[in-house]
Amino acid sequence: MKFFTMFWEYRDYFFTGVQYTLLLAAIGVICGFILGLLIALVRMSPWKMVRFLGNAWVEFLRGTPMMVQLLIIHYGFSQLFGVNFTPIQSGAITLSINSSAYLAEIFRAGIQGVDRGQGEAARSLGMTQGMSLRFIIIPQAIKSVLPAIGNEFITIIKESSIVSIIGVTELIFQSGSVVGITYNGMTPYLIVAVIYFILTFTLSRILGVFERKLKASDNR
Amino acid sequence: MITVKNLHKKFGQLHILKGIDLEISQGEVVVVIGPSGSGKSTFLRCLNLLESPSDGEILFEGESITSRGHNINLTRQKMGMVFQQFNLFPHKTVLDNITLAPIRVKKMEKNKAEAVAMDLLQTVGLQDKRDAYPSQLSGGQKQRIAIARALAMEPHVMLFDEPTSALDPEMVGEVLDVMKKLADKGMTMVIVTHEMGFAREVGDRIIFMDQGQILEQGPPEQLFGAPQQQRTKEFLSKVL
Repeated sequence: MKFFTMFWEYRDYFFTGVQYTLLLAAIGVICGFILGLLIALVRMSPWKMVRFLGNAWVEFLRGTPMMVQLLIIHYGFSQLFGVNFTPIQSGAITLSINSSAYLAEIFRAGIQGVDRGQGEAARSLGMTQGMSLRFIIIPQAIKSVLPAIGNEFITIIKESSIVSIIGVTELIFQSGSVVGITYNGMTPYLIVAVIYFILTFTLSRILGVFERKLKASDNR
Repeated sequence: MITVKNLHKKFGQLHILKGIDLEISQGEVVVVIGPSGSGKSTFLRCLNLLESPSDGEILFEGESITSRGHNINLTRQKMGMVFQQFNLFPHKTVLDNITLAPIRVKKMEKNKAEAVAMDLLQTVGLQDKRDAYPSQLSGGQKQRIAIARALAMEPHVMLFDEPTSALDPEMVGEVLDVMKKLADKGMTMVIVTHEMGFAREVGDRIIFMDQGQILEQGPPEQLFGAPQQQRTKEFLSKVL
């Protein structure tokens, strides 16, 4: 019972937390998606130097903890370059670039998985490389890696909890506040666990619907 | 219409095409035959630069398409290609498959592109499939749609890369019928095939390729009836 009374009593805390978590995750998902697609294309460039930069981006962001990336962007950049990001900005940037690395790998796998003949058919009709990618290759690639993209989106929602360490009032930060006020070290965390689950479960349902819609062309 | 001069193609150490010279005129139906690995498909794919030649020159309507700075996308609009594996776009309906390139590449209006597409669907006998997806079609139907898709760009020449090799035997006829109709209308065609009966019936000229070279060529009666080269005789005795 304590669960519900506490949730109700501190609903404003949790509500603020949900808002920031959703905001960060949404930015992370959208920017990560676009940036990831771009990086995937960069990594398939005919120019070696460009490919190298794309590879370095992915390897660095995958190979270092997101918390370190966050601290560098938030504190390191302000000290070294004098750029001061608000905690929200730092959090959004970190989540975006970090997820872009993972999504770039997913997109690359998807694009390489599309049959070679598809691109050849498109080019044989006079389409440019860009048109072929835009109309033929990428739509098929995204469709085939949609489950993996969904996983990454869910990861972004959960990983956004890390930005609590620089003081963004997202779910984890807020639950910590409630713990501090109530001296209850269990219930607030259970509440945010349930909230996280509701967020991720809803997202995976939405993606499921989307996936079925895209499968329309597979029906025999 | 198409002139090929001393065409070579190498894949690493592998020398696939060893100096092809060929002249194809307007309205001609050229059928390329030969054993597997003889370079027939590679040769065809060089014609629209899906494979880039290692050496030599290709002229299309008087213009060198192999020279530096040539915009191959413009040339490819005039060269339709049909593939062994159909390569229809699986995420698009039949109608979208056919209208995509005219709308995006030629900037044709959607209504007009769809009217053209419906005409072509009628030609290949598949009007009722306009809203179907490729996965719902049989192999023969897919290949006929692929032909319609290539024709939608109003090409000056059609390239066929073993168009019936991936089909069940009972579907070969429907595809060959469409191709025959096309030939009768005067379309310039270059066809790589193993269908000897069809080659004989439709071809104006048969080209026999072996080991990356044109070994023998001539009208069907001559090439099938009285082949000059020993290698040609051997090949024909195996496939006829």
